[in-house]
Amino acid sequence: MVKSRRERRLERLQKKSMLSFSESKKPESSTQSDISMKSKKKGNFFSRIYEDHYKKLVLIPMLLLLLSFVVIGFNIAETGDFMNKAVSLKGGITLTIPTITQEIDFKALESNLKSDLSKGDLSVRELSEFGVQKGVIIEASGVEEDELLASTKKAVGDFGDSYSLENLGPSLGASFFKQMMFAVILAFIFMGIVVFLYFKTFVPSVAVMLAAFSNIVIALAVTDLLGMKISAAGIAAFLMLIGYSVDTDILLTTRVLKRKEGTLMERIYGAMKTGLTMNITTIVAVTIALIVTNSDVIAQIMTIILIGLMADIVNTWIQNVAILRYYLEKKGIKE
Amino acid sequence: MSKIKNIFTHWRVIIVLVFLILSVASISPNPWNEGATIRFEAKNSSAAIAGIENPTFGGTPMSKETILSINNKPITNAKDYFDFVTGLPPNKTITIRSDKGFYKLVTKPEYNITILDETELIRVTEQVFNETLNETVNITRVEEVQKVKKDIIGTEDLGLVVYDAPTNNIRKGLDLSGGTRVILKPEEEVNQEELDLVVSNIKERLNVYGLSDIIVRTTSDLEGSKFILVEIAGANKEEVKELLAKQGKFEAKIGSTTVFKGGDDIKYVYRRAECAGIDPNSACGPSGDGWNCRFRFSISLSTAAAQKQADTTKYLSVVTEGSDTYLNESLDLFLDDQKVDTLRIGSELKGNAVTEISISGGGFGSNQQSAMADALNNMKKLQTVLVTGSLPVKLTIVKTDSISPMLGSEFIKNAVLIGLLAIVAVVVVVFIVYKKLVIALPMVVTMISEAIILLGFASIIGWNLDLAAIAGIMVAIGTGVDDQIVIADEVLRGEKGVFISWKDRIKHAFFIIMAAFFVTVVAMIPLWFAGVGILKGFALTTILGVSIGVFITRPAYASVVEILSK
Repeated sequence: MVKSRRERRLERLQKKSMLSFSESKKPESSTQSDISMKSKKKGNFFSRIYEDHYKKLVLIPMLLLLLSFVVIGFNIAETGDFMNKAVSLKGGITLTIPTITQEIDFKALESNLKSDLSKGDLSVRELSEFGVQKGVIIEASGVEEDELLASTKKAVGDFGDSYSLENLGPSLGASFFKQMMFAVILAFIFMGIVVFLYFKTFVPSVAVMLAAFSNIVIALAVTDLLGMKISAAGIAAFLMLIGYSVDTDILLTTRVLKRKEGTLMERIYGAMKTGLTMNITTIVAVTIALIVTNSDVIAQIMTIILIGLMADIVNTWIQNVAILRYYLEKKGIKE
Repeated sequence: MSKIKNIFTHWRVIIVLVFLILSVASISPNPWNEGATIRFEAKNSSAAIAGIENPTFGGTPMSKETILSINNKPITNAKDYFDFVTGLPPNKTITIRSDKGFYKLVTKPEYNITILDETELIRVTEQVFNETLNETVNITRVEEVQKVKKDIIGTEDLGLVVYDAPTNNIRKGLDLSGGTRVILKPEEEVNQEELDLVVSNIKERLNVYGLSDIIVRTTSDLEGSKFILVEIAGANKEEVKELLAKQGKFEAKIGSTTVFKGGDDIKYVYRRAECAGIDPNSACGPSGDGWNCRFRFSISLSTAAAQKQADTTKYLSVVTEGSDTYLNESLDLFLDDQKVDTLRIGSELKGNAVTEISISGGGFGSNQQSAMADALNNMKKLQTVLVTGSLPVKLTIVKTDSISPMLGSEFIKNAVLIGLLAIVAVVVVVFIVYKKLVIALPMVVTMISEAIILLGFASIIGWNLDLAAIAGIMVAIGTGVDDQIVIADEVLRGEKGVFISWKDRIKHAFFIIMAAFFVTVVAMIPLWFAGVGILKGFALTTILGVSIGVFITRPAYASVVEILSK
């Protein structure tokens, strides 16, 4: 329930900002002199809302962030952790077996294994390429390697040597997790320093950092909702999200603060056109990778970047724009 | 036409072209390369006896020795090789042709050895290197050995482990090539020196088994914990675990009597400079057409071992060779039952239970410096052998990964497919937005160039590409698209009549691009060090990729778009 509503809203939001983007072409294509943002009688409904009620619109990203915190809170209450860790972050065994002749019924395999190895925590997923099963991944903790192999062979038949098995000790797993978290925090601080050095103004820099923060939190909440188990590669994706999402914010801030041509709204729309093209190309490429890939590592990286980039559209073009406009208004710079 | 000429004479484009040529040369792709490439060779196997060399560590994938035919029957892949060698009868001669040479192998029979309850006397002829004469001499002696019964049960393996010949120089990480990775953690705090000792120990022992295509290195994490990582391509987990779990077995024998063993018998091997190094008394001198250097170091034996040594040497006779006197038998060093070295015993040790023993040896080289280096290298190897079996720390296995090569090749094909589809999709979107081929087409070229140069770099620095690294390449090229859109936009803004000079527009674009670049790089740096470097590949390829983009290919893209849209 919660999930579908959230997703629908996300989609709606996306459409909204896309619409205002396509509408924005109208003033741009007319001659330079006759548009001033104060005479927006002709502006369409969405761009009117976007331009006049930007402070109210900020409620959308704020609510999204709040909702994400609630989701994460629920996850903590339910599982005791703010994200579901894969075995590469908590220790355990990952067993991958390729589909050789006939498809493996992974659900049956899971229940089989669960009844066979009752003591461990266990899950089975499918690896597929274009919807065709390529193999199954079994993640288990608290089970011995040999037991797991034997039980799996019993359930699906002998697969000989053609399997991959990763086994990580629990204490090393816990330390991996701690360090990955540390890496994320460090990366975030470094990012903040770079942004501050670049713009040398407090509010716009904080706005960029806030957008990156929201993207990460929203992406984390969605992965929680999807029940996705985050592996070390997933953490790398969160880090990458910092890099990916910040460039549209930097583009926006640069165009708004450092350029002088046109009105403020024109500069915002100009940046939006560039920024949305950037986001859309990446979203398209990431979606393709997600559909085509047969690797669990790549699928997880792409899912997290995809969610984060969608969140970034809202956080950049509603939240960051609003903060910048409010900041300039306060500073008394008129459009 | 002149536009095309302008593009290819622009210095930025020329730089990209130079990098592309270097990258392709380094990757040296040859999709038609066929054969069975040798991964490693077992000691004393038929292949080793025939003179096929064990591949050395390092070296580019394409330079490794590849078997092309056996008995004039072409071998195109590893399967052909396996098909041929299974079912070979014993004592059969076969000819192997590789890209390095031509070998005659005789297959060995495999015996089932039963130890009988009686002994027999045999004459043993041994080749011993006489350091005074500087030549190898034959020594024959009579030994009493256990009588055994040998039954031929089949043919011994030729001793080669092969894989399909590589088609380029890009090294594949373990998750793509298949193999075993083990991470070991010392059970107690150790310093870097001790850890390095353990690493050279493990290497030495794995080398004894003919495993050369291995990575053994120390690694640490953000918390400062130290680990040892062992990666062996193409080996299965059981073999590696068995090798690592076993304490190295070191034995020193005189004749067939074990004088001392690794572990309790050797109290200490001196490694400090004042007790170990080039022999100050008889350092270096010219010998033949080169130089000869001597090293010496001390070891400390337990009293029990010293007594055993005295008992064994008591009845040996003294031989005089030049100005030195030795005992007539040598001390043989065995590592995991393989003889690794032979030392002459000075006559003063005869029947003498001393615990401090000086061990010396030599090194040879074309000049004094290389002879010294060789001597020190030999010394280090010998010291490592002596302490093997008495590792300074106990290790526990904290992570084992074994990856089937079958999954790896699927991943590579899939990654290439993703890359191509993503590039097509991005170009379609860009074309829809800008409706200009001059923007979209150079973008394809840029993306492909970035991928090639990145792979070229990876093959030059010998980086192993794993799955995470492939994801890193995709991500780096993805940021490239963003940058190119920023560039394209600035160029087109200029077209709309807003008057800004070309130089300023590119400056504007690169102001944004550089900010994004710095953010990506600083975000990746912590990942480099976190968690035993499991995601180092991702961090490295991303940083390398965005750097290549920002400094090499994307400026060229800007110039090309400028020239084309003028």
